[in-house]
Amino acid sequence: MPRLIFLALTLWLLAPVAVQAQTLQDILQTHQDEVLKPGRRSVGVVLDDLVASGLPQTVPFLEAWRDREIVQRDSDGLFFRATEDGDAITLNDLDTGENVGTADDADLTDSRPNGGVRRAIGDALVQFQLSDPNILKRRSAVNAIARSMEASQLGPLEASIEGEIDPTLRATKQRLAGMLGARFADTQDKRIEAIEALSGDLSVDVRAVLNTILTTKTGVAPEPPADKNIAQILTVGTDLTAEDAYARLVAADLAPPLISKAAIRNALVANLDGDTVGGVPVATLNTDAARATAYDALAADGLLPQRVSEAEQAAAIEAHSFYLAYTEPDTAITDAARAALRSIETNVALSQAADLGLDALSLASIYFLAAIGLAITFGVMGVINMAHGEFIMMGAYTGFVVQQFVPDYTLSIIIALPLAFAVTFGAGVTMERLVIRHLYHRPLETLLATFGISIALQQLAKNIFGTQARPLTSPEWLDGALVFNDVIAISYIRIAIFVLALLFLALILFVLKRTRLGLEVRAVTQNPGMAASMGINPDRINMLTFGLGSGIAGIAGVAIGLYAKVTSEMGADYIVQSFMTVVVGGVGNVWGTLAGASLIGFLQKGIEWLNPSNTLAAQTYMILFIILFIQFRPKGIVALKGRAAAD
Amino acid sequence: MHRSFFLQNPSILWFLTILAGFTVGVTLVSEVTGVGLISTSFVKTLGKTLCLCLVAIAMDVVWGYCGILSLGHFAFFGIGGYAIGMWLMYARTEGIVLGSLAGQPIPPTPAEISDAIGNQIFGVVGSSEFPMIWAFADNLFLQLLMVVLVPGLLALVFGWLAFRSRVTGVYLSILTQAMTLALALYLFQNDSGLRGNNGLSGLQNIPGYEDFSQATISIVFFITSAIALAAGYVFFAWIVSGKMGSVIKGIRDNEARVRFLGYHVEGYKLFVFTTTAIIAGIAGALYYPQAGIINPGEIAPIASIYLAVWVAIGGRGRLYGAVIGAAFVSLVSSWFTGGGAPNINLGFYVIQWTDWWLVLLGFSFVAVTLFFPKGIGGLFDLLVRKQP
Amino acid sequence: MTLKTSAFALTALLGTTAIAAAECADPIKVGVLHSLSGTMAISETTLKDTMELLIENQNAAGGLLGCEIEAVVVDPASDWPLFAEKARELLTVSEVDVIFGSWTSVSRKSALPVLEELNGLMFYPVQYEGEESSKNVFYTGAAPNQQAIPATDYFLEELGVEKFALLGTDYVYPRTTNNILASYLQSNGIAEEDIFVNYTPFGHSDWATIVADVVALGADGKQVGVISTINGDANIGFYKELAAAGISADDIPVVAFSVGEEELSGLDTSDLVGHLAAWNYFQSAESDANDEWVAAWKAKMGGDRVTNDPMEAHYIGFNMWVNAVTEAGTTDVDTVREAMYGQEFPNLTGGTAVMLPNHHLAKPVLIGEITADGQFDIVSQTEEVPGDAWTDYLPESAVLTSDWKELGCGMYNTETSTCVQLTSNY
Repeated sequence: MPRLIFLALTLWLLAPVAVQAQTLQDILQTHQDEVLKPGRRSVGVVLDDLVASGLPQTVPFLEAWRDREIVQRDSDGLFFRATEDGDAITLNDLDTGENVGTADDADLTDSRPNGGVRRAIGDALVQFQLSDPNILKRRSAVNAIARSMEASQLGPLEASIEGEIDPTLRATKQRLAGMLGARFADTQDKRIEAIEALSGDLSVDVRAVLNTILTTKTGVAPEPPADKNIAQILTVGTDLTAEDAYARLVAADLAPPLISKAAIRNALVANLDGDTVGGVPVATLNTDAARATAYDALAADGLLPQRVSEAEQAAAIEAHSFYLAYTEPDTAITDAARAALRSIETNVALSQAADLGLDALSLASIYFLAAIGLAITFGVMGVINMAHGEFIMMGAYTGFVVQQFVPDYTLSIIIALPLAFAVTFGAGVTMERLVIRHLYHRPLETLLATFGISIALQQLAKNIFGTQARPLTSPEWLDGALVFNDVIAISYIRIAIFVLALLFLALILFVLKRTRLGLEVRAVTQNPGMAASMGINPDRINMLTFGLGSGIAGIAGVAIGLYAKVTSEMGADYIVQSFMTVVVGGVGNVWGTLAGASLIGFLQKGIEWLNPSNTLAAQTYMILFIILFIQFRPKGIVALKGRAAAD
Repeated sequence: MHRSFFLQNPSILWFLTILAGFTVGVTLVSEVTGVGLISTSFVKTLGKTLCLCLVAIAMDVVWGYCGILSLGHFAFFGIGGYAIGMWLMYARTEGIVLGSLAGQPIPPTPAEISDAIGNQIFGVVGSSEFPMIWAFADNLFLQLLMVVLVPGLLALVFGWLAFRSRVTGVYLSILTQAMTLALALYLFQNDSGLRGNNGLSGLQNIPGYEDFSQATISIVFFITSAIALAAGYVFFAWIVSGKMGSVIKGIRDNEARVRFLGYHVEGYKLFVFTTTAIIAGIAGALYYPQAGIINPGEIAPIASIYLAVWVAIGGRGRLYGAVIGAAFVSLVSSWFTGGGAPNINLGFYVIQWTDWWLVLLGFSFVAVTLFFPKGIGGLFDLLVRKQP
Repeated sequence: MTLKTSAFALTALLGTTAIAAAECADPIKVGVLHSLSGTMAISETTLKDTMELLIENQNAAGGLLGCEIEAVVVDPASDWPLFAEKARELLTVSEVDVIFGSWTSVSRKSALPVLEELNGLMFYPVQYEGEESSKNVFYTGAAPNQQAIPATDYFLEELGVEKFALLGTDYVYPRTTNNILASYLQSNGIAEEDIFVNYTPFGHSDWATIVADVVALGADGKQVGVISTINGDANIGFYKELAAAGISADDIPVVAFSVGEEELSGLDTSDLVGHLAAWNYFQSAESDANDEWVAAWKAKMGGDRVTNDPMEAHYIGFNMWVNAVTEAGTTDVDTVREAMYGQEFPNLTGGTAVMLPNHHLAKPVLIGEITADGQFDIVSQTEEVPGDAWTDYLPESAVLTSDWKELGCGMYNTETSTCVQLTSNY
């Protein structure tokens, strides 16, 4: 790359002298293979030649190449820029840009530069695009620098800052120049200044710059060498194990290698002497000790290298010093970088905690949304509805069906939410009327009957929609994430779910506490007989309550489908978790469900953080915790008191 | 005592007679005797069904008699299967490893043998070390003890915690379901040391009996399962018939009243919970060598719910009901999903039972709970009432 | 199925039946052991349809050995023990001549003992973790060296990735593949601390933290790449989260081994453009045979259906079997197996697949970039790579080899020159 730019600059000046007669096509023809099947390592020659040619058509060609518009005509091997217009493919000459007619797809071979090649092309384009009038091109040049920083980019980048008119891009360029300066500025003072300017910026690329400056290599020597910028002297036992230390000595040719058990065995096999090896009968060689004796006997005869004893190993380790040394020789610079990084890392740790908190909050809101319908049907009415998960699924499929008819994603979501509520409300009421109402005094049997409905609904969904996961696409304004800084970010869709969860919390509290219906619901759940004698129709209330709980499950389905997937089995994923949320939180209380969901969400994220490589283990431990929790607090976090608490 | 016990419960004798007749009948027409009217794969299905009947009886005792709707008994069933599976895998692999190491110029060290076995068993899941839980896998007797001890201890500890905190009713159901889920998730992890999602496989090959055909082995397991079912039936019938049975049924009907009468309710519940868990473990240990493979999917919470459904369909509170339910539903299920049932052509739509069976099954649960709370076993009541 | 093609198939069927009836008493039976219900139905039903299409076509072309081929379809319902039971049923009750089936490794391991006991023959069409070579199974999907290793090479060579996140669903295929890859990467100079491994359960949907972890890997200035062995539905949530976090393929490329055309049809791919997948087949491959195959598939199943890699595996496997049977003149398992070695059949992607004596195929490896229409742009295609049953990158397996033709052993220790066992590790 530096060579490339140097060439470019010199040839730019010498351009009139250079072979002006050469065309772009000529250059491409000399590199046919590299152009047609470019690889990251092989494309360099083509780019070097193209840039060196100084031809003005190079830049449009490179852009077209990057965008995969370059084809080769099989009949004569010439390259063209192809533009597709329906079925017809129009070819444009690369040098003149003029239209040279159409071609059949069968006669053309596409050149498909892969990601690595496109990046190389982007790098080659940087010098031409940094001051391009088109802001998009300038931006892409800046992005290209950010992805692969080179010392040679510093000069052109700094030069282009002056003329940059777009304030945002100008800031980006300055920032980037700062990062390049930290690594590549020519004097120590400039670099330290640049490094100090970076402290406090916790973005990933700044940390990348500082960490690159602080790259270390391990080393071993009898004494720590004075000519190296030592980062740390390693203590055997704490920083590295004795085995590890000895292995490093062996690797550095400072100690003889250990003889492994397998090597001992192979050596013995190789030195078999009838029924004995080294005087030991073969039949007794089924222990490590016997093998060691035989080996040592052979070694004593000089047939094999001696084994290294533990004491010799320890002595060898003792005699050497193990260290980490910076690849950057300048101590002042590494000190500055370390100080800057340390100041950043505290911030990063705090931000990571905050990010984890946001994730946990988001997970809690998803659990809450999935469970809040249950909090009503199970928590308030005491009905175990195993088909609750399938109501979630029905809601999600409702969203999917709506999107088939309403292509506008925003509108379709606005339609889908109430429709999902209506559909699952209807399903819930139907189920309550036909099944559950007959089983109010037999809660365990409700469990079975609703389980039957659950598997029937799941299979029905499979028969209707197929087993394939179906897309439920969120509207564009929910794409992307809300970025606080480079560490703390949360996707808008999760925020939307959080808001939805809050809305439903408020709505349900309002319905239960402030409306006539809520009053009647509470009356019926506390004492149906008394409520009936007060003129409340318990049948009607039960029906409506159940419908409400089911309807909310439907809306949760749309939300969950938006952020994850829509399959016939999605409900089953949430059902056990939802029940646990309600039970942990405390039955019969919406606040309890909120507490349960928060506990489970935060707990799961906490365990995941402790063991980031195994999410499954986190879920297992979380459930174990819940089981234990219920043992010690059987009524949940928010336990009802008094008579309402009776089973 | 025993005579009067059988006389008091004529249904036991009926059951034993029918079971014995069935077992002898199947054996006579199986491939072993050369008749071959029943294929080996169907003998295996029947043998497995008998094991399912056994665990269903256990479920019936804990739920139908004692009123604890445990959604965890299939987990105990699975643990029994895992315990025996560990020995089967270890012993079979040990045979292979010793065979292949026998030709070596110098004899292998114990560590080499153990490494080679570990590598054969766990190589599949990308590891080669023996986890702690395999400590007894080389010993059939100890591992058989595990079949009884592990489910028993788990049930004892879990039950003690739960009953002590007076967790009852649907809460207990959810708690047991959570336990099942935790166990299944744990086993799903590769790090669990039980080969993760792959589980233990090749269990139908019994070490030491490689020369016997699967036809013979399947019949042996079939007969053993039948004997285990008979023994389990008599054992549970004895438990639920005496004074203890009355207390257990009392707990089901009104726990508080039994407690006020001075009975140690928790003790009784714990006894029933643990005993049934052990029997479930034994049933599992007989089932999985016939199935050939056990993996965490078997233990998933839904399996335990199915178990409850079998008992409900067969008829709770009567042991033969559980047997009928388990046998009926699992056999009908495999008939429908196996393509045995003819498709129904409605002209505009063809009902394929592989697709629609679950829908039918689901709605029939609902119908049974709503209209036949006594299940299929309830039909016998009608017969008995008509006769005199 | 459109009316036209079904009528065509019907006449073809009747025609061959008439001929066949004259020469052979029984039809040749092909068992299809794919789950039609349960969690795996999503992937496996397609393969059942593929087999039916292949058999239909073969019957239309005159059947096999003068006989009509009959498909015996059973449903193991994603229930692993049922695979053993159904395999036994197929071999002893239906007496099929060959079985095409299984998707997950565990289902294959469940059926294996039965196949070996009864000397059946099965074609297994899915990419898998290797470390197995049964006498009774032909593996037409990719072994790790035919998918994972070339994809990793592509990351190292073409994209210059220096730090790897190996994300997988927690089961055997990702575990073993990641073990092999970790060992391979270390032998290529990638330090152990530059390899981040994470396992999630099936159907995982909460990806925010994991995606954030992956982004944070870039903090030491190395190019990060993700190798994903995430299976099935979980991919949808994963890619949605990637898109939401604004991670483009230029920043952190993701190469997936279990995401094909079928999986992409479940989500909006506009944000995933440029991310990669490695397979032996893509629907976008340019060849006449592929155009024909895609057209036939769409005609049978509908215009919006896509083709994918395991379908090609069955396509090659079935045709090879047909040719081997024709050559052998019988469907006897041992004779057919001998005839299978060295069988060649043109790939749908161009080139020729060869059946090796270790029961694996030599196939080209393709790497594709996801396009906005849910297809793949093929950016790399290797020569045919011979499938390796035992990986060279794990010390225990490096000494093993499989050769059923010369050595007559699927697990042969080259160090001690002994056959470890004739049956498989289940």
